[in-house]
Amino acid sequence: MNRAYSITAAELAARGREGIPPELLSSAHLIYSSPATLAFNSPGAQGFGVKRAGLAVPGSVMLLVAPACCGRNTAALGCEASLAERFFYLMQDDTDIVTGRHLARIPEAVKEVCDSCAERPSAVMICITCVDALLGTDMERVCRKASEYAGVPVVPCYMYALTREGRLPPMVSVRRSVYSLLQPREKVASSVNILGFFSPLRDDSELYTLLRSAGIRTIREISRCADYAEYQAMAEANFNLVLNQEARHAAADLQKRLGIPSVELARLYQTDKIANQYRLLGQAVGAEFDDAPFRECAEKTISDFRDRFGHRTFAVGEWLNADPFELSLSLIRNGFAVSEIYGTVGGSNFVYVRKIAALSPGTKIYSNLSPSMMFYDGSDSPCDTVIGRDAMYYHPGLPGVPWNEERQPFGYAGVAALFGVLGKALSEKKESAR
Amino acid sequence: MKSLLKHLSPFAPDQSGAVSALFDFGGLIVICDAGGCTGNICGFDEPRWFIRRSAVFSAGLRDMDAILGRDDKLVSKLQSAMDGSGLKFSAIIGTPVPAIIATDFKALKRMAEKRTGLPAITVPTTGTRHYDRGASDAWLELFKTFATERHAIVPGTVGILGASPLDFPSLDAGELLSAALVAEGWKSVRCYGMGAGLDDVRTASAVAKNLVVSPAGLAAAKYLLATFGTPYEVRCPWLPPQMLDALPSLAGKKTLVIHQQFAANAVRDAVLNLDASSQITVASWFMMEPDYMRENDFHIESEEAFIEAVANGGYDAVVCDSRLRTVLPRTQAFHIIDFPHFAVSGRLFDEVK
Repeated sequence: MNRAYSITAAELAARGREGIPPELLSSAHLIYSSPATLAFNSPGAQGFGVKRAGLAVPGSVMLLVAPACCGRNTAALGCEASLAERFFYLMQDDTDIVTGRHLARIPEAVKEVCDSCAERPSAVMICITCVDALLGTDMERVCRKASEYAGVPVVPCYMYALTREGRLPPMVSVRRSVYSLLQPREKVASSVNILGFFSPLRDDSELYTLLRSAGIRTIREISRCADYAEYQAMAEANFNLVLNQEARHAAADLQKRLGIPSVELARLYQTDKIANQYRLLGQAVGAEFDDAPFRECAEKTISDFRDRFGHRTFAVGEWLNADPFELSLSLIRNGFAVSEIYGTVGGSNFVYVRKIAALSPGTKIYSNLSPSMMFYDGSDSPCDTVIGRDAMYYHPGLPGVPWNEERQPFGYAGVAALFGVLGKALSEKKESAR
Repeated sequence: MKSLLKHLSPFAPDQSGAVSALFDFGGLIVICDAGGCTGNICGFDEPRWFIRRSAVFSAGLRDMDAILGRDDKLVSKLQSAMDGSGLKFSAIIGTPVPAIIATDFKALKRMAEKRTGLPAITVPTTGTRHYDRGASDAWLELFKTFATERHAIVPGTVGILGASPLDFPSLDAGELLSAALVAEGWKSVRCYGMGAGLDDVRTASAVAKNLVVSPAGLAAAKYLLATFGTPYEVRCPWLPPQMLDALPSLAGKKTLVIHQQFAANAVRDAVLNLDASSQITVASWFMMEPDYMRENDFHIESEEAFIEAVANGGYDAVVCDSRLRTVLPRTQAFHIIDFPHFAVSGRLFDEVK
């Protein structure tokens, strides 16, 4: 092993979903750790991991119950002062791990945390880690006890990295946790929740306009809730709009507990597919959306970009707000080339691999996590523009955009915004080259 | 509650210390975890990881690996990553997961050596202790594994033990420490872990003396003394310029210095050189070696104990990483001097404002 492993889209498609080579399967090899994979190895180190996500409940605080190592990177999150004040740590020592005696201290620790806060927290989120996963701790029971003792809602958040590829990965589980405090309310027909992200959609997303055109007056997202009361009002929603499949489990739980049904939309960059999705959403909610102006605007942005910068050749990463394979397919269908994709191929995106293989069979697919990426050398790559924070790491000299901002792009507005920032990056690169 | 942190976040753990000690030697490092520990170590505790490619890997453990204890699978993955890579050894670093399932690290070492045909180091860190314990264990294991032959002593050659960015928060710390010793008249300096290579470790017995600059290096120094008779001295020959500039303001004052013990001792020595009447107390959250403590020096056991000690100590000044400022009693007027400690705050000296 002295060069980075890659496979062309054509070869991969020919192998089929069952024939994905072991080099692309994270369970078959060690996981390479480079800055390109930081978001994978430590979701909390950047963006939203379980710890930061658990604090999505307005006014809540988090008590991390774990060995010190699990809380270490929280210092980085704590750079943001408002977050730092919301994290507390009950550290486990070797004896705790062996005997589980730390569980008896949790109710008292929760009370001490609440007493130390200037303002009483709305809830205490207890974050537990691989240790309690292996110990088989019944944290629901511990939380009930702590809640009775401290007089505050206490909710478990399972940061079980060991179960990352299991039925209930940590980021799926935490989405259920943050909505678990909602209590039944009378439904309001003109109210809807957007589930999926821990930060709001970009304000310019047409989704808001389209929903309002269908008579929806109140659109709530947890990240826009100013306080606990507003958060609780999410229970009145007529339906939930799920924009990230990791929120599917939370939506199912809300349907079961509060009777709120859900509709799921995917984040896409192919404008015809976006249009199709809106048509189906309209059918589901009994409305006909006029999305043509938004689509036109997005497609014009793409054609303006192409006119101005020509047929670029992209390298697309996976540390970004998109499915790298769907985004790559969109770029190819819009007349651009994609020479490389750094992504994790799985059941849900193999369909895009097949379509890419038909249009651009030579596109190379790499796995960020493969140990062979230690030897990655992009110097012979034909790409001239990069998208994704990981792709930028591999091609530091090329113009590109990380496209992983916290404000979430969605729909046509997301497409337009992407090509907008790409245009800016290329202009700046040209300018600095002069 | 002793184990509750209400103001601070946890310090660098033992597994980070172990990786930091081994990072510079050209081996393949496998962190025996599910992924999160690796992210924390690399993304937060190892500043060198961001500026150069390194062979650091996560074992990528999943629940069934932990439940079934699939060590053979881990070693197969390790062998596959080592094959043709040109890396010189492998190292397997513990985390809470192997600690809970009682992984036999000695067996892992034997299995890895057999499969790869190359030396392997295992450090059974648990994630519950501080970085210096892990670094100490890793240094010791490194020298036990590679420094096996006696070499003729090369006069004028000195080794530095215990240097890492976690203790000396600068990417140039190895060069700065070495330069300070060259200025003292040493002809050749080996700063293990920050500049010196694996061949320097193999010929560690050739140095005339070792200098131990943090408590993490002491166990290895004692091992080299016992094995080869190499004498050692505990001393920190370099302090950052910002710290040196601040020393005159501490002369004659009652000061609490908080850092790794040997760096804090160096501050004390420097202040006492300026004014012997100064009252300097050294404290640390980390290892405090009794042989190098003076009266009133203390180990900080908990956040609560720290607050109480500072509140009742009657200090005029506190020298510490400014991250600790959040815990210092706000009712008291201290002169606070920032002395960054990467293991505490993840800040480098260069980031001091």
